[in-house]
Amino acid sequence: MKASWDIFCSVVDNYGDIGVTWRLARQLVAEHQQGVRLWVDDMRAFVPLCPEADAGAARQWQQGVEVCQWPAQWSATEVADVVVEAFACKLPEGYLQAMKAREKPALWINLEYLSAEDWVSGCHGLPSMRPDGLKRMFFFPGFTPDTGGLLREADLLQRRHAFEQDPQAKQAFLQGLGVHAHSNARLISLFAYENTGLASWLDAMAAGTGPTHLLVPQGRIMGDLLHWLGIEQLPLGTVEQRGALTVQALPFVRQEDYDHLLWSCDFNAVRGEDSFVRAQWAGRPLLWHIYEQEEDAHWVKLNAFLDLYVKGLSPQAALAFTGLWHTWNAGADMAQSWNSVLQHWPEITAHARRWCLEQSLQADLAQALVLFYRNWI
Amino acid sequence: MKTGKELKPGTVIKLENDPWLVQKAEFTKSGRNSAIMKTKLKNLLTGYKTEIVYSADDKLEDVILDRKEATLSFISGDTYTFMDTTDYTMYELNAEDIEAVLPFVEEGMTDVCEAIFFEDRLVSVELPTTIVRQVDYTEGSARGDTSGKVMKPAKLKNGTELSVADFVEIGDWIEIDTRDGGSYKGRAKV
Repeated sequence: MKASWDIFCSVVDNYGDIGVTWRLARQLVAEHQQGVRLWVDDMRAFVPLCPEADAGAARQWQQGVEVCQWPAQWSATEVADVVVEAFACKLPEGYLQAMKAREKPALWINLEYLSAEDWVSGCHGLPSMRPDGLKRMFFFPGFTPDTGGLLREADLLQRRHAFEQDPQAKQAFLQGLGVHAHSNARLISLFAYENTGLASWLDAMAAGTGPTHLLVPQGRIMGDLLHWLGIEQLPLGTVEQRGALTVQALPFVRQEDYDHLLWSCDFNAVRGEDSFVRAQWAGRPLLWHIYEQEEDAHWVKLNAFLDLYVKGLSPQAALAFTGLWHTWNAGADMAQSWNSVLQHWPEITAHARRWCLEQSLQADLAQALVLFYRNWI
Repeated sequence: MKTGKELKPGTVIKLENDPWLVQKAEFTKSGRNSAIMKTKLKNLLTGYKTEIVYSADDKLEDVILDRKEATLSFISGDTYTFMDTTDYTMYELNAEDIEAVLPFVEEGMTDVCEAIFFEDRLVSVELPTTIVRQVDYTEGSARGDTSGKVMKPAKLKNGTELSVADFVEIGDWIEIDTRDGGSYKGRAKV
């Protein structure tokens, strides 16, 4: 049954909002044959994720999704069967009025932020009744079966497996980015917010016994990287060598290529929400730079995830892994915690694979949303 | 108007023209500095109960309620009888109507509470911001800490558990903040 969906995305900062909603929109079209309109209030944030897109177009079709500029002055539009308000972005008043007037009520979903905290399962799927009679449902992504799950395309792990089994594909991908890593180098991707702990981590890798090749897509960490390198700029593709560490800047790549990058690396440092989830599907050890919140609320969320994630690791490996994440998010000295993780590398690597497999046994977020709608009508 | 963040037990909001009593409200931080409030609501006309989630900045129409001072008279099973301190009228409430404050309601308490009325019917009771209760059981001080920063579990007479300063002993009277679900404030002078 084909339903119409309106997904609203307000770009607040960075690429998390548009990253999640664009991925969801594509999956609803490709795997569930739904009709999807994606409303974006800042098309400039969309173009890096979908380079074919036209930032100036009011309406365009990309990969089966109707992508629309969310105008400052809302004009009358037909309301979809399912309305997704991503991250409580506040629907236009005109659209709310149209929802009220709709003969058959639309399912209004507030797609919330990802969190591993216990309270999430108790709030997932609950309604929110408004004084005007409209009802909004709260939908929470999550890591346990009593939540909405994580975004994951049906064939994602098969595609990853095929990529991993094909050394030429990996080589071709990396060469396409201008990456020619030493055959025994540890390949690490780095996507993070500004972090005062970076210099100490780079020092530790430069002083390491084995070679490390660090791949840094364009982003907010670049300033700290240049400062450590002692240079003004690092043109894309060029390589800087410091001791055992090779550093290379990469362009901001589209979502499909970012997956390839994660699958190519032995370790991925990620940030925010979308890249954090994709790094888990890569089945490689990861380091999460969480979005900082007022009153240190992000620490509770970080620890809630760690509590879940480290189950099954030996106490020593869990301590090392947790220590690394804490140090990174505190912007503190990374040397000791990085070296501790290296001591447990095989165990932490195997665990990342196991975690990925466990998570893949749950329904994915797009599937859960479609099912939620079917149960609702 | 009230925002989602301002909801608390005892608040009555109007939804589709019906009055709904907030019996429980749990505030949690969501992502990117946003927050949500999970509530347990009771329809005051039909008695129907439901759980509802609000964003912290959702706007809701609240119902102006009458408030009077009342004290607990006695407890009989799940029924709690409160007395209007001005005209001595007795009012009954079920345990679930005062679920949010129940952990700190105990026989013999003398707190002057705020009784909340909707159309002359008592619908809920709010405790004072600070209440004083006696510790019924706690372990001895483990570390001899006197700073008040080291905490340990303790039990009140009605079985409610909470964290208290390490130096608190059995029989001590303590001050409790009821606004945040019952946190220890300090030792009371009785």
